[in-house]
Amino acid sequence: MNLTETGESRVNGYLFVLERSLKTFLPPDVVRDAVREIESHLRERVASADGAPNEREVLERILGELGPPLRVAQAYSAERTIDEAVTTGRFVPIVRAVGHLAATTVTGFFVALGLLVCYLISFVFIALAVLKPIFPGNVGVQYVHGFPIGLGAQFPLEPGTELGGGYWWIPFALFFGLGIFVGTHRGARCFLSWWRERRLS
Amino acid sequence: MSHETWQEQLRRGGLDLAILLTVSAGPRYGLAIIQHLEAFTDLVVTEGTIYPILGRLTRDGLLEAQWVEGEAPHPRKYYRLTRVGAKRLADMKGEWRAFAEKIDRLMIASERAVRESH
Repeated sequence: MNLTETGESRVNGYLFVLERSLKTFLPPDVVRDAVREIESHLRERVASADGAPNEREVLERILGELGPPLRVAQAYSAERTIDEAVTTGRFVPIVRAVGHLAATTVTGFFVALGLLVCYLISFVFIALAVLKPIFPGNVGVQYVHGFPIGLGAQFPLEPGTELGGGYWWIPFALFFGLGIFVGTHRGARCFLSWWRERRLS
Repeated sequence: MSHETWQEQLRRGGLDLAILLTVSAGPRYGLAIIQHLEAFTDLVVTEGTIYPILGRLTRDGLLEAQWVEGEAPHPRKYYRLTRVGAKRLADMKGEWRAFAEKIDRLMIASERAVRESH
């Protein structure tokens, strides 16, 4: 079956939505390959429908069997993001995969919440280590009447608050910040690995 | 777990094996794989979701993919089993048969026990 202009527009519209959805989480070369393969599938199906009287009906049936573009993109996302995160162990793919699970599963949501808190704590410690040499009078342990009330940075330091902790704060904050970051990152990777095994089993 | 969830898990568990079996006889392109699966099983619910699985199996080194042009009016992406894929397929077949045999034995024993109790 040779498609009319309307049929071509329908196919191109489907591929456009698929491409846009895939682009949000896949590298461009992978997107190109995936869209090319889906287009090949569609063209093959259309070609094999020779003799069918109603183009629109045939096309809608073919697209229906293929699945909505967002569902197909979601399937790519599920297969791809977790695999990439587990295999590479890089920060961005791991965050992307956890984000995907958080958006699609209840367990993923709570795990992502926990991981987010831990990542934030680690970033705060690292930021404090960086800020200490720049603002030595604002970063450290805060005391009021000799009692420690908190640790962190305060701009400006409130009256009555004394700052404790010298430059030893820098290695301390760096050690804890990086320690929590590495621990959280390993935890996230383990979780994704477990999820992947669960999916394959 | 609902019956539908259990069925879905069973379907997903069998899909990798079914795809590897489909390409074990020789290279096939995506639609040919889907048509073969549809002819013998009801594992394909949404055709478009088979392609991401083919992509994963390729990334895992079990399949090898190659675009072929000129054979049809549009290019086709052919998949064939790699040596690692053939080894994995043999393992999966053995495990599947052993698993099915055990469940069969269990079902026969259970049915016999039910009959004897009546």
